[in-house]
Amino acid sequence: MILSVRDLRVSFRTNEGLVRAIDGVSFDLEESEILGVVGESGSGKTVSLLAVMGLITDPNAVIDGSIRYKGRELVGLPPRELRRLRGNEIAMIFQDPMTALTPVYTIGWQIAEQIRAHRGVSKAKAMQRVEQLLAEVNFPNPHEAMSRYPHQLSGGMRQRAVIAMALSCDPALLVADEPTTALDVTVQAGILDLVRKLRATHKSAVVFITHDMGVVSELADRVMVMYAGRVVERGTRTELFSDPRHPYTRALLGSIPPLTGDKPRRLPAIPGSPPSLLRLPQGCAFGPRCPVRYEPCEADKPSLGSGAHAAACFREAQA
Amino acid sequence: MSEPMTDTDRPILETRSLAKRFSIGSRFSAEGRRTVHAVDNVSLTVRRGETVGLVGESGCGKSTLARCLVRLHDITDGKLLFEGDDITSKSLSELRPLRRRLQMVFQDPSASLNPRRRVGDLVAEPLRIHGKLPSAEIKKRVAGLFELVGLLPDHVMRYPHELSGGQRQRVGIARAIALNPDLVVLDEPVSALDVSVQAQIVNLLADLQEKLKLTYIFIAHDLSVVRQISTRIAVMYLGSIVEEGPAEEVFAAPAHPYSQALISAVPVVETTPGGTRKRIILAGDVPSPLKPPSGCRFHPRCPIAAERCRSERPELKEYRPGRKVACHFPTLT
Repeated sequence: MILSVRDLRVSFRTNEGLVRAIDGVSFDLEESEILGVVGESGSGKTVSLLAVMGLITDPNAVIDGSIRYKGRELVGLPPRELRRLRGNEIAMIFQDPMTALTPVYTIGWQIAEQIRAHRGVSKAKAMQRVEQLLAEVNFPNPHEAMSRYPHQLSGGMRQRAVIAMALSCDPALLVADEPTTALDVTVQAGILDLVRKLRATHKSAVVFITHDMGVVSELADRVMVMYAGRVVERGTRTELFSDPRHPYTRALLGSIPPLTGDKPRRLPAIPGSPPSLLRLPQGCAFGPRCPVRYEPCEADKPSLGSGAHAAACFREAQA
Repeated sequence: MSEPMTDTDRPILETRSLAKRFSIGSRFSAEGRRTVHAVDNVSLTVRRGETVGLVGESGCGKSTLARCLVRLHDITDGKLLFEGDDITSKSLSELRPLRRRLQMVFQDPSASLNPRRRVGDLVAEPLRIHGKLPSAEIKKRVAGLFELVGLLPDHVMRYPHELSGGQRQRVGIARAIALNPDLVVLDEPVSALDVSVQAQIVNLLADLQEKLKLTYIFIAHDLSVVRQISTRIAVMYLGSIVEEGPAEEVFAAPAHPYSQALISAVPVVETTPGGTRKRIILAGDVPSPLKPPSGCRFHPRCPIAAERCRSERPELKEYRPGRKVACHFPTLT
């Protein structure tokens, strides 16, 4: 077991009251497994992974629950200890590679810095490793690319450089937060291919955050669907896509226009919009938009249950 | 405005070898002044009542083309005709009466709506400028527009930040249709929205088109959304159209190698395990429009490029009624 998160809660104190961004998220991750986390903006998918990385530094954040990395508790770990893990055993790829790279140093320098910080090797050795890494993420001319600055690269190349940096210390856990959202589909296809390949060669476990059901279905072994700070459904990729159990998952899959076959005259849309975390309904957060809601949904929040394929829905529990 | 009924085949908008070039850099920089060929030799015909979807990767010139079509950019070369009338170089005052018939919806409604004005005012603005209506009449029209786009009457007094992303885009749409336009250019109208809200807006646009007899030019990078809403598709690469045809045909059997790669790259939900589609992964990146490649602009990345592609640029040719492709070796079915 690489990662085991239990009952994670993250709240932020704001002027308008306590905002519960994450409300009881639990999941496990095995070696070289890809977990897809799907959700819309505000669903808590990014915050939950920032918590895992120990990157929530807001003094108004309250983090509860347990995050165990290889059996070691990360919640409450001193920053020094966390820094030793981050970038080394746990690496992260962010959505926008331009903000993840510093504009004033070359790509080669930036990747080498990370290797030297964690491995204590000579600069020449580190540079050698950088060249290897850049070749591995399909830079056509890795030696030359090392002396390039981020602005001299295209978006896809920048994201590859960030991936090379993330892989530089052979992380056991790789967290990717919408790494392809800012990219074109043709570039995205290449990056997804790369992630699949690297999982095989580096044996890293990957948490892949995205809002795109298509991306998840092509990449993930297991999937976790989030809505308003809670996990509403989890299961293997096949289970989730061939037998979606939560009404939100079903509605989300149904509202994607097909790429082949007949066009529906109208798309089956989900009414309303995702709720504000400040004004969550008392019962199920998806209740107000749900086509199959009934009385129990208004009083209580349904729990996810313990099954491998589970949905947090009263209708599901009833069935 | 009352106008003679025209048959549906008559183009409402037409471009002839339209080009837009930007000059960048300074005479004193190392490279000197250079020219970006953003849109190059585009001839596109839009007929009344149809939806033309423009697709392509970022930097392919689709947004620049859209802005040229409503004359938000000046056109460098070629012609732009609105109902057969040459509007390529009309002055701003000459364009003003046309503006009401040619509208645009932008990608990010929080950027295109003035944050300090109530959304009711924002929708009333075009009516005040063009309509010369009494204020009671304007109020009534605004209420009607709000209903039409699915906003509640009491939303009129809200500010943009008090609305959700989907509601803000509905305001943007209400503004665009306030003056009963003929043609609406939609530049990524659903890309900034949450997935669960996108379908609502796509449905709304389809309903409005039917009710108001609108013609759309629809730009989006999400190909499945474009397919859903468009009757015709134009695929752009590096400033030019490389393929054009009825939406479902182009998606089912793309003729240009670039369209094939683009469509194959879209990740789709596979409900049957193991049923993965064949994917074409393109080598390299989109070349810079500062130095477009010789011959066919796609040849450096094309899996089937031959000698001829390096030297001779293929023209956009109609190989079957309604289907056009710019390739020396198209996949014709």
